Amino acid sequence: MKKLGVLVLGLLLLFLTACGGGEEKTSGDSKVTELTVWNDWTENRPEYKVYKDIIAKFNEENKGSIHVKIESIPHDQYETKLRTQAAGKQLPDMFRVWPGARIQPLVEGKVLLPLNDILDTWEGKIPEGILKDYAVDGKQYAIPANISETSLIYYHKDVLAKAGFEEFPKTYDELKDLIKALNDQKVTPIALGNKAIWPLQSVYISTIADRFTGSEFLPSTLSGKGSFTDENFVKALTVVEELAKLKAFNEDFNTIDEAQSRTLFNSGEAAMHFAGSWAIGPILEGVENIDNIGVAPFPSFGGEGDTAKISGAAGGGIALNAELSGKKKEAAFKFLQFFYGDELYQGLAKSNIVVPVQVEMDDSIPEIYKTANGFAQGGLAPVYDATLTPELTDMINNGLQSITIGEKTPKELADEMQKENEQGKK
Amino acid sequence: MQLTGKSKAALIIGLLPAFLIYTVFAIYPIIQSFYYSFMEWDGFSEMEFIGLQNFENLFQDPLFWNSVGNNIFVVIASVFGQIPIALFIALLLNRKIKGLKIFRTIGFLPVVLSTVVISLTWSLIYNTKDGMINEILRAVGLDFLAQNWLGDTKWSMVAVCITVIWQFVGLYLIIFLAALQNIPEEVMEAAKMDGASEWVTTWKITIPMIWDTIIVAIILCISGSLRTFDLIYVMTHGGPSHSTDVMALYMFNETFSNLQYGYGSAISVFIFFFSLILIGIVKKVLGQKFI
Repeated sequence: MKKLGVLVLGLLLLFLTACGGGEEKTSGDSKVTELTVWNDWTENRPEYKVYKDIIAKFNEENKGSIHVKIESIPHDQYETKLRTQAAGKQLPDMFRVWPGARIQPLVEGKVLLPLNDILDTWEGKIPEGILKDYAVDGKQYAIPANISETSLIYYHKDVLAKAGFEEFPKTYDELKDLIKALNDQKVTPIALGNKAIWPLQSVYISTIADRFTGSEFLPSTLSGKGSFTDENFVKALTVVEELAKLKAFNEDFNTIDEAQSRTLFNSGEAAMHFAGSWAIGPILEGVENIDNIGVAPFPSFGGEGDTAKISGAAGGGIALNAELSGKKKEAAFKFLQFFYGDELYQGLAKSNIVVPVQVEMDDSIPEIYKTANGFAQGGLAPVYDATLTPELTDMINNGLQSITIGEKTPKELADEMQKENEQGKK
Repeated sequence: MQLTGKSKAALIIGLLPAFLIYTVFAIYPIIQSFYYSFMEWDGFSEMEFIGLQNFENLFQDPLFWNSVGNNIFVVIASVFGQIPIALFIALLLNRKIKGLKIFRTIGFLPVVLSTVVISLTWSLIYNTKDGMINEILRAVGLDFLAQNWLGDTKWSMVAVCITVIWQFVGLYLIIFLAALQNIPEEVMEAAKMDGASEWVTTWKITIPMIWDTIIVAIILCISGSLRTFDLIYVMTHGGPSHSTDVMALYMFNETFSNLQYGYGSAISVFIFFFSLILIGIVKKVLGQKFI
């Protein structure tokens, strides 16, 4: 029996050491500092190639001292994985993050390293207003690579002309007329894919609500001064209800996803597509005649907001692990300073990505990109899911879907959100 | 079987690795989620002990009860869909017919397919605009029967359940076929000599003889349906308007999208006991001998 005990103990030890063996190999014995960067650059998109090329160049220039390793995880799983790993305190050295409310929990969990020591690198280059998307309580946690405008309207010029609209409608009433005219001609007015329930909120409500309430509404409501039951906010939600009742969307909009709806638009089956600046690339690639595609800002809704504004947020930020120190920290800083340089922004602009710095544009750049880029100059309105708490985002996402199928009224959703807003602060 | 001291030791050593792995990867996490379920925790910050607050919130959460209701619907649809259909086909196939192997393979095929593939394919079939079902209905002039299968709260749950049934019929079909082939030939022969009709033979002999297998299949079916997640996650995301939300999906969303690890653990604990009790009841009810 004694033998058995020894054996059991041995097995147990073996097992435990096997479990604990996952720790990083210390890079101390070699001179190369290795840094791992997590991201969601899995798709074959031009901007991801730009990112990867710049990292390759950095590795080349720092051969023998620093090596950056890229690990890509598909987008839909990325954030869940990041949060789960963060909960287990097993984050890599560097990782892609999203701005606003989405980095808040990571900051509160103290897993991010502030970049204030190297912030002057970008002083005067990137506007304060965009940098602050990645800042919490005066500390900067990432540098934006691009601006993600979330509310643009793409349209087929010829289809609109056939419906009697040479120019894109400037007001909501005109837009409704356009929708009716298109329906009369049996053309799907707007291609929408809301299965994943975020587009109606991120693309539609972010800007529509801003037109009605102004940009101060969201922060002040979240801090307890305003209320979601505000008449203007309810009116914004009502727009979604009206559009659904007008049959403005393709019939299957609640059962197809966002990318599928873009195919519907590209094929010319639908006249319009409301999406963010992320759609520029796929649309340029997907449609036959680029010159036939126009891009317009959301119309005016006669509310209190500034009609020049468009909802948008910084994107493409890479944050550092709070546990970095010494050589690794230095290397990571060096990497960020190199990565967010002119080369990146020029490369991105060439791939039709809206960037936060001024870059020269030549004639080879497509018209819709130039126009979209111009809209950012009117100022950015907050994006709802980058500002709301996760609970509220979930609630408005689901609520908007319910509104489209008549399961809920705008007023009910507003009441529900306000109730959660008050409870959440307790 | 008698075990001498020596072979007992060998037995323990043999089982130990499996037992250890099972403890670390199955039992320990279950205990851990019991622990988390008493905490307020977003996954990053300090945990805070809040006693039974999570469960109190859970029992007052209408969306949670909605997901429980939907889940029971899936369980009922699976048990009364999968088992009878599988049994019926198995009885048909359990005779010397040509091409038995082909039919068996076809029946089993959906079980081998990846759930994501199944979900995406069925989403296309159900599509309201150009899906197969609506196209056929329209082609034969039954336009009024065409529905927005996945986009309408009236139909979404039914549509999802049909897919669930389709996916798993094959699994139970194989289980039943195996059981049927184990029925001794003599018993059947004796029945025939006594002049029992096919109908009587099936009800009085075949089914009672595989009753234990049927019970196992029902239990597998219930526990499988209680865990159902992937298919619905891909097909509808629980939508529209929570009409196809099930417990596991609700738990996943609360935990990982809303960052409420404590609350999510409380839901897991609830699912754990709910399943245990349900299966206990089923075993009690069906445990009695047939006839």
